[in-house]
Amino acid sequence: MSDDKTIKEEKSDVRAIKVTTLGKMMNSFGIYAIAVFFLVLGIVLQSLGIINNFLTTTNMMNILDAVTLLGIVAVGMAFVTYSGHYADMSVPTTMAFTGIICVQMLQFGFIPALIITFLFGLLIGLINAVAIGKFKANPIIWTLALVFVTKGIIRIVWDNKQIYPDFIANSERTSDLFDNIFRYRFFGKISLPLVMLIILIIALDFVMKKTKYGAQLKMTGAAQKAASFSGINTEFVIGMAFVICALTATLGGLTVTSLSRVGYINNGVGYDFKAVTAIVIGGMTLAGGRGSIMGVVGGVLVMGLIDNILTLLGVGTFSQDMIRGTIFIIVVGLNAKSLRSLGRDDA
Amino acid sequence: MSSEDIKKEKSFDIALEMKCVSKEFPGTLAVDSVDFDVKTGEVHALIGENGAGKSTLMKMIAGSFNDYTGDIVMGSQKVDLFTPAQSKKNGIEMIYQELSLAMPLSISENVLVGRLPKKGIFLDKKKIAEETTLCLERVGLGHLDPNLQIEEISQHEGQLVEIAKALGNNPKILVMDEPTSALSREEVERLFTIIHNLKKQGLAIVYISHHLPEIFEVADRVTVLRDGKKIGTNDISEVTSELLVQMMVGKSVADFYSYNSHAKENERLRVENLSRFGFFHDVSFSALEGEVLGICGLSGAGRSELGRSLVGLDERHAGDVFLDGEIFKPSHMSKAVDNGLVYLTENRKTEGLALRLDVKDNTLVSIIPQLSKNGVYTSNDGDEILTGLIDELSIYPPDPTKIVGNLSGGNQQKVLLAKWMACKPKVLILDEPTRGVDIGAKMTIHKSIEALAKKGSTIILISSDLPELVSLSSRVLIMRKGRIVKDMRKEECTEESVLLAANGENV
Repeated sequence: MSDDKTIKEEKSDVRAIKVTTLGKMMNSFGIYAIAVFFLVLGIVLQSLGIINNFLTTTNMMNILDAVTLLGIVAVGMAFVTYSGHYADMSVPTTMAFTGIICVQMLQFGFIPALIITFLFGLLIGLINAVAIGKFKANPIIWTLALVFVTKGIIRIVWDNKQIYPDFIANSERTSDLFDNIFRYRFFGKISLPLVMLIILIIALDFVMKKTKYGAQLKMTGAAQKAASFSGINTEFVIGMAFVICALTATLGGLTVTSLSRVGYINNGVGYDFKAVTAIVIGGMTLAGGRGSIMGVVGGVLVMGLIDNILTLLGVGTFSQDMIRGTIFIIVVGLNAKSLRSLGRDDA
Repeated sequence: MSSEDIKKEKSFDIALEMKCVSKEFPGTLAVDSVDFDVKTGEVHALIGENGAGKSTLMKMIAGSFNDYTGDIVMGSQKVDLFTPAQSKKNGIEMIYQELSLAMPLSISENVLVGRLPKKGIFLDKKKIAEETTLCLERVGLGHLDPNLQIEEISQHEGQLVEIAKALGNNPKILVMDEPTSALSREEVERLFTIIHNLKKQGLAIVYISHHLPEIFEVADRVTVLRDGKKIGTNDISEVTSELLVQMMVGKSVADFYSYNSHAKENERLRVENLSRFGFFHDVSFSALEGEVLGICGLSGAGRSELGRSLVGLDERHAGDVFLDGEIFKPSHMSKAVDNGLVYLTENRKTEGLALRLDVKDNTLVSIIPQLSKNGVYTSNDGDEILTGLIDELSIYPPDPTKIVGNLSGGNQQKVLLAKWMACKPKVLILDEPTRGVDIGAKMTIHKSIEALAKKGSTIILISSDLPELVSLSSRVLIMRKGRIVKDMRKEECTEESVLLAANGENV
């Protein structure tokens, strides 16, 4: 028996190397290589005179500002995807709704407004958590339904009007503070949202990789039934993913509302699909349980670069949507194919 | 070669011949330069431990791989079997271990899939019924209404419908992968009669199985694979089961069944009048620390349901469970795990393992709370436990970063057991712990079960494998139609007595 074992061990060593190199190339560096590719592409296009002002401080800042917002939303939604529940389609309305709530509550001062806003964000997260975690509603259908409910509430309560922080705030200072959520820059350079994003990335990466919750989430995402049979409270684990997503969406909502200086039902439109695209490009499979926050950040960077280059090229918004959709399809397809060739027949 | 053999050679044409075929997966050479052939009108059995390459070889014939190497010859010319369509075109039909029928559709829709007869643009209902019945008659199911849905018929009938579906395409070669794994003894007999008739009609049949007695009943020749290589092909009359086992495992199995009882005095688990209406009723028993308590029953006797209700996966309608003398009523499976009462599922692929994660993730999942401090999870603390378990269960390859889905069935089952061994359970309910597992893995799993009992775990062993049940258990409870009908001590238990009791006969 011991003879058999030694022979087998030798064999397995040779085999193991093959898989790990292939796997590593696919998983960790892939997305950042793509980011560098687009950066180089931009520079080449600029040097050929096809686009202007790509490699300028202002433009790089623009890209960063743009990806910051997307990043905040995407790293939270990544938990939903990681849990094997695809995406939270209620993110755009959560952003709009919490933004409107915050503007409305500025009449009581800045800090009270923030607290109330996050309570509302938490509430939305809990509603999703109960419906999808506990009652196992289909995540896409449920969150889409929530979109309509939230939109209805906004239309009824605010009579379909836009609301402005400078009219509602109890003092000019309050409205300035609100404006500064997006505009404040440390040392005049690093924006507050970017700092928030970096903190989020570090914190959520830690949660996903190093905590008890993260380990249980991974198992739940990869095989929900098996996780449940292993004694994991999957209802709680899945619910928490939606709560995290709703809270980052709230943060995103505050930022985007501060940016536009208006509480408006269409703030945040498109962030659902952009976030999913970034997540999937970043190597997090829709089937759940695989990928990382750092990968998602890479995906966000790539999305920002693509958007920026397309805008500089003068491609219209509709065409940009089309291109983004196409990229999504290609990435999901390639993802499925590479998994299959590794002997994992799911995507 | 005797004169009889020569005669055989002449009367049988070779239907399919594989010459030096190989197939490599990332990380595994699953089939390594194998020669294999099957003749018309014969049943050629293909056996080997899990991971020996049987299923890969079969999938190759079925056209599942477009990158195998070597030649496949049918008749006198070389054929390419790179896609399932090419295989079908060459007259090859597969019957898989798991049912591949569409549950919500009717029998006829399944049997005639892709070639439903039409009248103009409408389906020809009458002709559909006729053709389906014709196909069903070949497998002895002529009495079934072709309009029944698959979910309305039994698993055994489903298996036969699958064969009928395959026969409908007039195949030359029929490949059966573990066709009897879900069938009762009686149903197996019926299947063999059908196989015998098909053989007479000139079909070449490749038959994959774990069960050696079956091979001797049904096969004409047998080929043994081990670690992706062919060990040998023999006429069935030339071999004995001992010889086949030796070829399969490469070692002798003399000390296979010799286990001691490690039961201690104190009572670990007591079940009083437990019922889940419609599944089991009024079940009472108790188990000691370190005892292996077997539960035997035919399928549908309520064995698995009992196990699932004990740990809180399914509801209970009446009765109490006491764990170490205290009443125990888990609201959720996680509570049961916290209290050391765990259930090893019989469906390892859907309920047991995360196939896309590696051995480490799957093994340590049961002790995530223990490995966490203040919510921070340090999986490195589990490495020692993990290495110990991989070693004890000889999980192959011994690499914790291997994706579980890429392991063979036997090794997957070992990982599943390792998961529960890691958390050192007080009570471990094992539901078919060695189903579909080869002899080597089975021996390892049995040794580990015994070791667990020795360390004080109470084992409740639910199994259809009678030798396993009889040799491992210190007592066997017989379940029949949801009730415990007999409590047999070790001395009373033989394979025959247990089986008779499960069938409701007095012994």
